[in-house]
Amino acid sequence: MTLTNKDLDIKITNAEFERFRDFFYRKTGIRFEDSKRYFVDKRLVDRVKKTGAHSFRDYFTAMRFQASGAELQELINIMTVNETYFFREAHQFDCMVEELLDEIVTTQQKKELKIWSIPSSTGEEPYSIAIYLMERWPSIERVDIELMSSDIDSSVLEKAKAGIFNERSVQNLGPSLKKKYFTKTEHGLYQATDDLRSCVHFSKVNLNEQKDMQKYRDIDLIFCRNVLIYFDDVSRRNAAEALYDALAPGGFIFLGHSESMSRISSLFKVRKFKEALAYQKPIA
Amino acid sequence: MKKILIVDDATTVRMYHRQLMESIGYQVEEAGNGLEALERINQESFDLLLVDINMPKMDGYTFIEEVRKTPDVRATPAIMISTEETEQDQDKAYAAGANFYLVKPVRIEALQTYAELLTGGVQ
Amino acid sequence: MVLKKASAIASNPNTAPAVRGLQEWLTLLDSQDTDERRLAARALGEYSVATPALLNALAREKSIRVKGAILVSLQCIGGHRVLEGLLPFLRSENAALRNGVIEILQGMPEEIGEYIKDLLHDHDSDVRIFAIDILQTLAHPDSPNWLIDVILHDKHINVVATAIDRLTEIGTPEMLPAISAVKARFPGEPYIEFVVNLAVKRLTEE
Repeated sequence: MTLTNKDLDIKITNAEFERFRDFFYRKTGIRFEDSKRYFVDKRLVDRVKKTGAHSFRDYFTAMRFQASGAELQELINIMTVNETYFFREAHQFDCMVEELLDEIVTTQQKKELKIWSIPSSTGEEPYSIAIYLMERWPSIERVDIELMSSDIDSSVLEKAKAGIFNERSVQNLGPSLKKKYFTKTEHGLYQATDDLRSCVHFSKVNLNEQKDMQKYRDIDLIFCRNVLIYFDDVSRRNAAEALYDALAPGGFIFLGHSESMSRISSLFKVRKFKEALAYQKPIA
Repeated sequence: MKKILIVDDATTVRMYHRQLMESIGYQVEEAGNGLEALERINQESFDLLLVDINMPKMDGYTFIEEVRKTPDVRATPAIMISTEETEQDQDKAYAAGANFYLVKPVRIEALQTYAELLTGGVQ
Repeated sequence: MVLKKASAIASNPNTAPAVRGLQEWLTLLDSQDTDERRLAARALGEYSVATPALLNALAREKSIRVKGAILVSLQCIGGHRVLEGLLPFLRSENAALRNGVIEILQGMPEEIGEYIKDLLHDHDSDVRIFAIDILQTLAHPDSPNWLIDVILHDKHINVVATAIDRLTEIGTPEMLPAISAVKARFPGEPYIEFVVNLAVKRLTEE
């Protein structure tokens, strides 16, 4: 009988963890705190077994020297499990309505703003933006907002347009917001009202396709959260250039909490607001 | 306690400089390139910057130039520490706004002297 | 609700950019206007025949933003011609440009193997350090052996220290004797003492 690696007791030593942590940080900018050790080990051991490697060392060596980077990508995927829900990372929405939009309106004398949420995923983010604008931004009475949202995946876009969400997805919304912007379906799900859905213009866009991106210009605020982390280095830099092209001078980008433009491109200026960091395309 | 930001892309260099500075009595933070460092200094203030030249995303010269242009932090003293030994490199560092230039590997005595001169002592 | 309705903005013909061809973009790469040069550099990333023009533009370009766009476009095109065109820039006096080029070369593991040995033996110690920087994230199976060769033979302390820094990450326990032996080559040098001890500690615990 042969021993398969499923039977092996895969252990990760402290030194191996340190090396993996340094490597992963260099590649992704994500740094695991010591408190995350259990979480990281568990997922690593799982990958070691799934790939058929006989030790963490073998696995780590193979991953680092794999020219395609596919295994690293797989690891990034499982280490950064993303779940989307309403008002996720709400401090950025707070920043938008409390400081950022007012600054644009005041300093640039704009009467019309464009906001773009990419990727839309199943719609939680763009609808969250719409709700925030209507509930928390008084200037909405005098400034027109064009709210756009895009994704590369057409099936996801269909879901976003339909705007049907489960209880878990809307759990951050208070009862009055749920009542105002959703109708409860007979299966206990929440469907965004026609009014809310009509606020967002959805479209299919590939961040790395110049043809797609050229249609988006003069945007004042882009939410591009938790997607660049999944790109390889070339695509990430290319996407940063494309986002720069899409922004109006003085426009802003929000990235996800584990992402930093400082590891991708020097095109933007970091701006620190009370609630969040944003990256700004220089005005001149 | 005075706080120092070490800006270098090599992990072991950051660790080495950290150990030196901590042994003298400074508190140390790290950044892996000029852009990360700019982000850091916009969020908290530092008493001294130790800056490498060759780094990805933003090199040391550009970083110090940016610091010198940024209100609130422009006066932060900076020591440039690099492998580049020529006089031109030093001239460029001073032109960018560095206060001192040291060639790697740095001697702890030199680092201590310059750091204390620029920060007015450890405390 | 005062948000604009989606239907109202479904298509805005004014925002659609003019469609340009290869020749027009090549001409615009010489424009006096920085934004036009940058847009041209971006667009040319889709034409591999534009490689020589982009490399020439990189050499004379002053704007950091345009240089960045050229580098990303060259990275998108990829291949040997791009690689060979970029190597001379490692000697550039411009730190931002050299480091931008190193970043691109780091992403070309399949192409760079045949050039790296020469770079690791360059007469200029800074170019040797850049070669090691390129190996830093390069997924090439020979990287550890190239680095061992450096720590055994290179005479420059910063070159050797940089190589040990990389081996701390990609070395194996079999390399411990070679790494430990470096101390004897640079006696009484605290920096070497530090990096060797660190590497030994990391690699022994494996």
